[in-house]
Amino acid sequence: MDRHRIRNFCIIAHIDHGKSTLADRLLEYTGAVASREMQDQLLDDMELERARGITIKARAVSMPYRHQGTEYELNLIDTPGHVDFQYEVSRSLACCEGALLVVDAYQGVEAQTVANAYAALEHDLTIIPVVNKIDLKHARVEEVVEEMEHSLGIAPEEVIPVSAKAGIGIDRLLAAILDRIPPPEGDAAAPLQAMVFDSHYDAYRGAITYVRLRQGTLSRRDKIRYCGTNRTYEVLELGRFRPKQEACESLSSGQVGYIIGNIKSIADVHIGDTVVLANDQETPRLPGYQPPKRMVYCGLYPADGQDFAELRDALEKLSINDPSFEFAPETSDALGFGFRCGFLGLLHMEIVQQRLEQEADIDLVQTAPNVTYEITTRSGEVREIHRPQEVPDAGEIAEFRQPIVRVNFIVPTEYIGAIMKLCQERRGVTRGTEYLSTTRAMLTYDLPLAEVIYDLHDKLKSATRGYGTMDYELLGYEPADLVRMDVLVNGKRVDALSVICDRADAQRRGRAIVRKLKSEIDRHLFEVAVQAAIGSRVIARETVPAMRKNVTAKCYGGDITRKRKLWAKQREGKKRMKSIGKVDIPQKAFMAVLDTGRQSPDR
Amino acid sequence: MTPPAPRAAYIHVPFCHRRCGYCNFTVLAGHDERIDDYLRALEIELRGLGTPRPVDTLFIGGGTPTRLPLPHWARLLDLVARWFPLRPGGEWTVEGNPEDVSFERVSVAVERGVTRWSLGVQSFLPWKRGFLEREHTGETIDRAIESCRQSGAQVAVDLIFALPDETASDWHSDLDQLLARPVQHVSTYSLTLEKGTAFWSRWYKGLLQPLEEDRQAELYLATRRRLRAAGFQHYEISNFALPGCRCRHNETYWLCGQYDAAGPGAARFVGGVREVNHRSTTTWMRRLFAGDSPVAERETIGAELAARERLIFGLRRLEGIDVREFEEATGFRLDALAGPAIDEFLAAGFLEQSGTTLRLSEPGILVSDTLWPALLG
Repeated sequence: MDRHRIRNFCIIAHIDHGKSTLADRLLEYTGAVASREMQDQLLDDMELERARGITIKARAVSMPYRHQGTEYELNLIDTPGHVDFQYEVSRSLACCEGALLVVDAYQGVEAQTVANAYAALEHDLTIIPVVNKIDLKHARVEEVVEEMEHSLGIAPEEVIPVSAKAGIGIDRLLAAILDRIPPPEGDAAAPLQAMVFDSHYDAYRGAITYVRLRQGTLSRRDKIRYCGTNRTYEVLELGRFRPKQEACESLSSGQVGYIIGNIKSIADVHIGDTVVLANDQETPRLPGYQPPKRMVYCGLYPADGQDFAELRDALEKLSINDPSFEFAPETSDALGFGFRCGFLGLLHMEIVQQRLEQEADIDLVQTAPNVTYEITTRSGEVREIHRPQEVPDAGEIAEFRQPIVRVNFIVPTEYIGAIMKLCQERRGVTRGTEYLSTTRAMLTYDLPLAEVIYDLHDKLKSATRGYGTMDYELLGYEPADLVRMDVLVNGKRVDALSVICDRADAQRRGRAIVRKLKSEIDRHLFEVAVQAAIGSRVIARETVPAMRKNVTAKCYGGDITRKRKLWAKQREGKKRMKSIGKVDIPQKAFMAVLDTGRQSPDR
Repeated sequence: MTPPAPRAAYIHVPFCHRRCGYCNFTVLAGHDERIDDYLRALEIELRGLGTPRPVDTLFIGGGTPTRLPLPHWARLLDLVARWFPLRPGGEWTVEGNPEDVSFERVSVAVERGVTRWSLGVQSFLPWKRGFLEREHTGETIDRAIESCRQSGAQVAVDLIFALPDETASDWHSDLDQLLARPVQHVSTYSLTLEKGTAFWSRWYKGLLQPLEEDRQAELYLATRRRLRAAGFQHYEISNFALPGCRCRHNETYWLCGQYDAAGPGAARFVGGVREVNHRSTTTWMRRLFAGDSPVAERETIGAELAARERLIFGLRRLEGIDVREFEEATGFRLDALAGPAIDEFLAAGFLEQSGTTLRLSEPGILVSDTLWPALLG
């Protein structure tokens, strides 16, 4: 394929702004998929993605397209929209020359739109601005175009109005893709140089590598070498995604496709690696990707202590196709054997947990998530802290640092005050306010990531009646007055309930946690004291009073079996609960530490 | 060796005028036209015994046995007396709603051998009866008690406490009025929200708030204090009796003795097997008319389970168990069954031991349902 007839692009959009529907429509208009095979959101084939209407992993599809008598190949590389998957976004951006920036004609520019648009600009992509859903009754196309102009500097005349759902403006969009997006560079006659941008594992064919050819040509039977691992393979099959894998004889510079080469393990395929011909020692490696940084950690424990091996197998299986997720065994006095798991963000964590429960049918106890902290000890050693139990005694700490993120909020102007209050309560530092139009503004704050992951998204939604959106990027680590707060139940520390928080918040959070625990722990035969403490200093206490009355009234001939079965059931339930000392702690209680004690601003 | 035949029998009569909000028993409300069918079905079930079984105790419960019109009432009693003839000195209890318990009805019963009436008074206070959806008045209660007394039958009364918003003075007023009447036996129940009742769904929807736990405990302790002061023995979690007036029939249940049964939803325990008849009155009848067994559930109680049941239900009797007797009768050592749990409860003061007797302490009575799971092994 002549590279001048290839266009590589991605679609970037905020969640629900219609990215997947637009992709479906492009597939249909180019004839890449017959309409009878159309199903909504073709590219999102993970069940979970369909259920939640979001894209998690990057996807690719090649669309043959005939325009004014010439045959073109349009390669759409789909990207996830959520900030947690920024890493995947940057991978797909690196394979494209252009990006369709899709904005909902009613919702307008959102925080993720801005973040992803800037990422595309950083990669020197040509942006084609698109306003979608123009057929909506409440569409406000002109205002939204104005917002795009103010927030992203887009020329209004460049914006293409479409309705992906109704099929309006798709031809004009396809023409713009051909006209505006530059064809890929790179000589097809030069030595092979291909970028690995994704992979997946197939039980029958082994690891399948997704590549974008930067230069050269790749054919079946070629011997290739992965620069990163320095392993060589023979190409058994190669092809394009249409959107299912379709084998072909060769791929050339600018094209996007897959390679199957008897690669046994997915671990042998590094995302960001470069593929060259086996005998070629000259061609340099392409610059790789930043490895993903796991920002959020939590403990995952089987609800029933017996399932440890099952959980390990399920985690291993999951991590095969999700290298951004990591896990390591850990033990907790309270919860027994489990795993410390690292995620890109909260959504990523939630998705992994759901997949474990759905796909592997494992009941999980999850501890409250925390971010990765850094500590410099008095002896000068720098430690990464992934869980509260790793925090050394206060006397050993020279500096305690936490990750800071820059957060962009886009909200209707009447909610600016509410957002400022939210951020000030969380020790945010304002970095500016920009009016996108007369009704909407973008606020920028620097905030501790820990504050962002706990509840900021929920609080933003409730403070803005669902209209506000946010996005963030990591700035770096800054020192802060942080402490480890422990929770004691009848004097025994419950390791899985410890949290790291700002000293100024400790009192409030401690009170909230013990109050929440009091409501979660059933009355026992004895009084149960629930305390929050920093070191040996107790800062909050609640008491679960001893049970006063639990006695069955009637018990005659017909009741005996029923009562006995009820008691046997209670005995089993008690066995499943985690107990500290003699106190039974229900699994739900381990999330109690998420209660920050702050009232929702709208209350 | 065939085990000796049971010496106790229970007959269930499912008819009720209407279902009360707290009741989840086997009842058939508003279908009095099935009374004839019921008696025919009961006769079929009893005929299955083959030969009459003399018993020491009989109990006719419901539902509302006194819902039956007098001619049917007489037929029921005759039928039961034919198949379960009462031995000399036996105890025969019938349950009744005060509004149905006329002198005539009592006489018909006493002539046929009934010795004891259990009256579903529930409360002497009109507001409580209204809440519980009971229709009798103070006068009907007194007429019923007086009818029993005149005919020489013992009187047992059921009372319910711990209604939402019930105060201590409400309950004391109930106890005052109880103690002013010639009653030999009292069963007191705190209002329990059972699944499948109207009250349960009201609670589930947040429309009904049970009385707070600490106040329930106070009312329970007050009952115990006042009835004991009046000469009653607190002999089981919910039951109080003047000396010599315990319900011998119910004691058979709690001592894990054998008992026969007939009627929809009735449970029997014979030869180590517990059976429950189908709870639906119409299914129970249909099966009997078709010549099929009315039994819906059957469970064989193995030796260890029998021992554990005997332990728990024995401890619910407040005089407790005699450990030596228990071990001889069951063949299990108490230590082996539940040693650590019992030691723990003794140390915590929920159980007390004197000599070979093991029993619940007063604090133990109050939380006893929390203790039982640990004794099940």
